[in-house]
This record gives sequence, structure tokens and C-alpha cells, in this order.
Amino acid sequence: MKITLELFGASREFSNKEYLEFFIKDQIEVKDLRNEIIHFLDENFKGNEKFKKIVERSAFCSEENNIIKDNYKITKDQKIGIIPPIGGG
Amino acid sequence: MFHAKVVDIKKEKIKLSNAEKFIASSKCGASIYFVGTVRDQNNNKKVTGMTYDSHDQMVIKSFEEIYKSSISKFKFDDQVVFIEHIKGHILLGEISILIAVACKHRDQAYELSRFFIEEIKKKTPIWKKEHYENEDSEWLEGNLIQSK
Repeated sequence: MKITLELFGASREFSNKEYLEFFIKDQIEVKDLRNEIIHFLDENFKGNEKFKKIVERSAFCSEENNIIKDNYKITKDQKIGIIPPIGGG
Repeated sequence: MFHAKVVDIKKEKIKLSNAEKFIASSKCGASIYFVGTVRDQNNNKKVTGMTYDSHDQMVIKSFEEIYKSSISKFKFDDQVVFIEHIKGHILLGEISILIAVACKHRDQAYELSRFFIEEIKKKTPIWKKEHYENEDSEWLEGNLIQSK
């Protein structure tokens, strides 16, 4: 299963692209995806603590543009957006 | 009446005249324009510009939800709201957000305008990256969206 993680705000620093892709064997919950992202940061940014903090403080949104909870199950290929702490205006 | 838009600075700018046309109503006796612009200092650093990032669909959804909650909260007979927020890189003094409201009375208009900007700060997925004189830049820390 492929999860395309759309990057916004400070999380855009995680990649030169607008997204990251995660290939996962089984269904997972959002909290597991959070761990996958942190694992990615450990491997690619030597565990950059600032980046990890962004992930820990972020919410996530579904393809339907709803904020999803940590126990939300991802069961098929889909896009998930990472929503770091916000501050418009 | 309600208007909400994310304005891509690569294509256009936010214009006060558009808001003025939209909120004009003979039913309303008070109009307030809240205009957010980029200022030249933050945390003792000299700012040269700002990049705004947004989740466009969620921004519009958030604006609509704030509008709906304003109706149920205030129950004003007539209210007109125009909101536009910029996306992309803008320079000092340029407009990042425009909230124009029209109501029957001035106290309503002040209250409604304040309500929108405070709710947007807390609920709308928009992010700011500040650019400094030394060509450094930094994403600003924002408010958490609760989801856990």
C-alpha cells in the first residue's frame, strides 16, 4: 500500500518534492504513520530534532480534507496531508 | 453573503476594491476592513518578506465553518463577509489577509471582524515563513490543531 504524504508549512523542509511516499505492507493507523515519518527523518536527516518535533506536533488530514485522529485506519493507497502548527494572518 | 478565496500572488494581488464592491449593502450601516500586512521586524530580526503556504481546500472549508459558527454565535440579522488570504511570497507592506465585514451596526461589525481573525489564527491551515535581511529564513511556530 502506498501512502502519499502531502507536505505543508515547515514539513516542506523534509523533501524537495511536495510530498513523501511511504510503502507499507499492512493497514496502519495515523499514529504508526507518524512513527514512519520519524523513522524517515532519522535515516535521512540524522534524527534532526527540530524536524521530529514538527511531526510530533502535527495533525493529519484525509483526502476528504478532514482532520483525522491518531487511531484513524489507513487501509488503502491514499493521500494524507501533514498539518504542522498553523499561523496565518 | 459570504466570499472566501485563497489568492495566489503569482497570479494576482488582494484588492480592497473587490471587498468594497462585495460588502456594499444598503441594509448595513457599518463596515470594517481588517488588513494584515508584512511588517519589517519580528523577534528583533529585520524582516524582508514572507512566504505563505496553505492547504487551499481546507482553508476554504475552514473559512466556511468560521462563517457558519459566526451566524450561530452572533445571530445578526444581516452580515456580509469577504475574506481573502494570500499564498506565496510577498514583500514588506503587502497584504496577506483582508477581512471585510458589513453589519447593521458598528458594534456588530467590530465584533464580527475580530472574531474572524482570531478564529483564522487558531483554525485555518496557513503557514508563514519569514525572510530576513541576511537571506536567512524561518517557518514561524504556530498553533497546534488538536487531533490526538
